[in-house]
Amino acid sequence: MSPRAPRPGEPCRHLVVEDALLVDPASGHHGPGTIVVEDGRLAEVTWATPARSRKAPAVVVMPGLVDLHAHLREPGGEDTETILTGLAAAAAGGFTTVCAMPNTTPPLDDAAAVRDVLARGRASRSPVRLLAYGTITAGRSGERLAPMAELAAAGAIGFSDDGAPVDEAALFAHALAYAGGIGRPLVEHPELRSLTRGAEAHDGLAATILGLAGWPVAAETAAVARALALLEDVARQAPAGAAPRLHLTHVSTADALALIRAAKAAGLPVTCDVTPHHLALHDGWVGGDRRFAWEALAAPWAGKATAAEAYDTATRVNPPLRSPDHALALWAGLVDGTVDAIATDHAPHPETAKRVEFGDAAPGIAGLETALPLVLAGVAAGLADLATVVRALTAGPVRALGLTARGVPEPGLTVGATADLVVVDRAAPWTVRAATLRSRAYATPLEGRRLESRVLATVAGGRFAYLDEDWAGGTDG
Amino acid sequence: MTGPQPWRHRHLLDVAHLTAADLDTVMRRADEMAVILRHRGARRASLQGVGVTILFYEASTRTRVSFEAAAKRLGADVVNVAAASSSVTKGESLVDTVRTLEALGADVIVMRHGRSGAPYLAADVFGGSVVNAGDGWHAHPSQALLDLYTLRAHLPGGRIAGRKVVILGDILHSRVARSNVWSLTTAGADLWVCGPATLLPGFEAWARALPADRRLTVTADVDRALAGAHAVMALRLQQERMTAGLLPSLAEYTAEYGLTTARLRRARPGALVLHPGPMNEGVEIAPDVAAGPTSVITEQVANGIAIRMAILELLAAPR
Repeated sequence: MSPRAPRPGEPCRHLVVEDALLVDPASGHHGPGTIVVEDGRLAEVTWATPARSRKAPAVVVMPGLVDLHAHLREPGGEDTETILTGLAAAAAGGFTTVCAMPNTTPPLDDAAAVRDVLARGRASRSPVRLLAYGTITAGRSGERLAPMAELAAAGAIGFSDDGAPVDEAALFAHALAYAGGIGRPLVEHPELRSLTRGAEAHDGLAATILGLAGWPVAAETAAVARALALLEDVARQAPAGAAPRLHLTHVSTADALALIRAAKAAGLPVTCDVTPHHLALHDGWVGGDRRFAWEALAAPWAGKATAAEAYDTATRVNPPLRSPDHALALWAGLVDGTVDAIATDHAPHPETAKRVEFGDAAPGIAGLETALPLVLAGVAAGLADLATVVRALTAGPVRALGLTARGVPEPGLTVGATADLVVVDRAAPWTVRAATLRSRAYATPLEGRRLESRVLATVAGGRFAYLDEDWAGGTDG
Repeated sequence: MTGPQPWRHRHLLDVAHLTAADLDTVMRRADEMAVILRHRGARRASLQGVGVTILFYEASTRTRVSFEAAAKRLGADVVNVAAASSSVTKGESLVDTVRTLEALGADVIVMRHGRSGAPYLAADVFGGSVVNAGDGWHAHPSQALLDLYTLRAHLPGGRIAGRKVVILGDILHSRVARSNVWSLTTAGADLWVCGPATLLPGFEAWARALPADRRLTVTADVDRALAGAHAVMALRLQQERMTAGLLPSLAEYTAEYGLTTARLRRARPGALVLHPGPMNEGVEIAPDVAAGPTSVITEQVANGIAIRMAILELLAAPR
C-alpha cells in the first residue's frame, strides 16, 4: 500500500486493475483482462483467454464517460450547482467529459460568456473536461440568431436553446443552415410547446388517475417531425462543406424514435440521445411506483408493493417520464443503433423549486452520479449488452457531436494513450441519498434506492478525478 | 361485512386507498352523526380541544361551510384561513404555511387547493392529519363519500353493488368524478362516465387497466349511458372549457349533454339525480330536473355535514 490514497486531481502515477472486464469501443474488443496505468498513460492492456466456466468479473473498466447534456448552473445559479460541484458529481459518476448547456444566467449567447465558463472550468482544477454549448438564439428568446461564429471561436461545441425550443420554424431552419456553415451541430430539445402548456405528466394512466394535466407524446413526435423536415430541406440546399447537423436530445418516445430511425435510414445527418431516467424509470413513479420500467411493463397496480408517496416532485422532468413501453422502445433504439448516446440531462434544482406543489415544481433532476448504475441495471436485466451501453456513453456521443475536433480523445483502452477511464464494480451496492451526492441538487427520484453498481475510480486526462475511499485495490505502488 | 373495522388512516388524501370496509366504517359513523344532526343544537364533544384549520386556496362556499359546521358540532376549535387573506398572497410556500399553522395549534388541516397532489405535500410536512377537501383535478374524498352515503340512503336495500350509476359532464377536469370512480367501483356499482369526447381522454385506458372486479364504462353516447340507470350525477361545466377550445359553446353542450326531463326518461323510473354543486341550472342540468321528485341534490348538501363529522372524528378524535 502507498502511504495514502491519491486525491482527486493528483496524477495517476500507478494503477493496476486485474481480472476485470475490459470494454474498448475503439477496437470493439471486450472481455476479461488487466490494465496498468503508469505515469498517467495506459501502459498495458492484457486480454485474458476467457475461461468458459468463469463468470464475467464484476469489475468493469471502460473509457471515461462523455455527457452531452448537463446543466451546471454557473454563472447565475451557484446556490443550485457550481462548475466545481457539477464536475465533482461528474467525476463520481464516471464522466470525464461534460458538455454544459448554455441556459445559465446570463445565457451563453456571447463569446465572452463562453470564454468565462470555460475559464471557470480550468480554474476548478478538476481533471474532468468541461465543454460548453452556445445558445441558438440571443437570450434564448427564439427571435434572432446568437453570434454563432463568435461563440464557436470562443470554444462553443455546438448550439442549443435547450428547454426553450425554437418555436419559429423558419428561424430554426436558418439556425441549422448557419451552424452547418461553421461546422457545428444544433442540439434541439424537441417539444411542441402549444401542446404542453400547463402539462404536468405523461398523458398516460398515472396522469389520468392523479388528475395531472397530460403531456402528449405528440408534443415530441410533432417537434421531431418538423425538425427532420427542416433538416432535409436545409441539407438538400447546403453548399459543399456546410452540411447541417442536428442532434435531438432526451428523446423519450417510441414514436419520435421511429421517425429518427427512418430519417437515419434515408441518410439525414441526424443523431440523438436518451437519458438514463427515461430508460429506467416510467410515469408510474409519479404515482409512487418504484419498479424499473422493465419490471413494470404489465400489471399497473402491482407497483403498490414498492410504492412511495405520489406526487414526488423528484419525478418531474421535461420531457416527462413516459410509460414503460416507451422506455423499452428506447432500449430497443440503443440496441439497433438509432440512439447514438446516453446523456444525463443533469438538471439540479434547489429546495425552493422542488419542495412545492407538483405542478409548480421545476422540471429536472440530478443525473450525473446515478447514470451509470441505472444503465447497468438495465444491462443486468438483459435489455442491452454491456458493449452497447458503453459505446453510447463514450464513443457514441463523441462521434455524434464530432468532439474529437474539439480536443476530446477518441474513447478507448489504447496502449500508450493518456489514461481516460472509469473503473466500476457491478456488485458493490450503495444507497442513493441526495444529501450525500456531490451535486447540490435537492432531490433525486432514486432517494433511498439501492443501486448495485458503484464507480471505484475515474481517471481523466491521466489524473485521478475520483477514487472511492473504500477501494484499496489497484493504486498501491 | 364483518362489522366495523379499525380505522387505520392518519390522513384522508384520496379515495383510492379506502377499502370496502373503510367505506362502511365511514357510512356507519355518518349514520351516528345524522342522528345528532336531527336534534337542533345537539353536539358531540369528541373533538373538544382539537384544532381544526380550514385552509382554502380556492373559492368555495358549500364545502368550506360544511367542514366548519361539522367541526363545530364536534366541539373542535375551528380556524378559517382563506388563502386570499393570508400571507399566501405574499408568496409564502405551502410548506411554510403548513408549518406555521401547526405552530399555531392546528391538529387537523382541511385543505382545498388548485394543484393536484398539494395535500400530499402538506401531509409530508404536517404532524397532524390532513383532510383533502379537493385538489386540482385529482380528488374530492368527502364529496365522493357523501355521494355514496346519499345513494345508499335511497337505493332499495341500501345496496350499491350492481346498480348502474352515471356521471355526466366534464369528466377530465373533475376531482369529483375521479374520487367517485374509486368509491363507487369499490362499492360494486356498475359505473358509467359520459361526456363529450374532449372531456374524456385517458378514462378509457383507466377503465381497461382496472381489475376485473371493478366496473367502469366510458362513453360519449349519452343515450347509451343513461339507459336503465339507477342514478345520474351531472357535473358542473365551466366556462373555461369553451375558451380552451374543448367545446364550441354552452348551448351546444346543453343540447347534446344537458340533463333534461326528456333525457332522464331513458334512465330507470325513479332514477336518482345528483349534482355536487354549484349548479349552472339550464346548462348541465335543467331546473325542473334539479328540483324534480327524484332529485337528492339538497340532501347531498345536508349529508355532507354528517360525512364530514364522521371523517373528522375518525381521523382526529383522541383515542
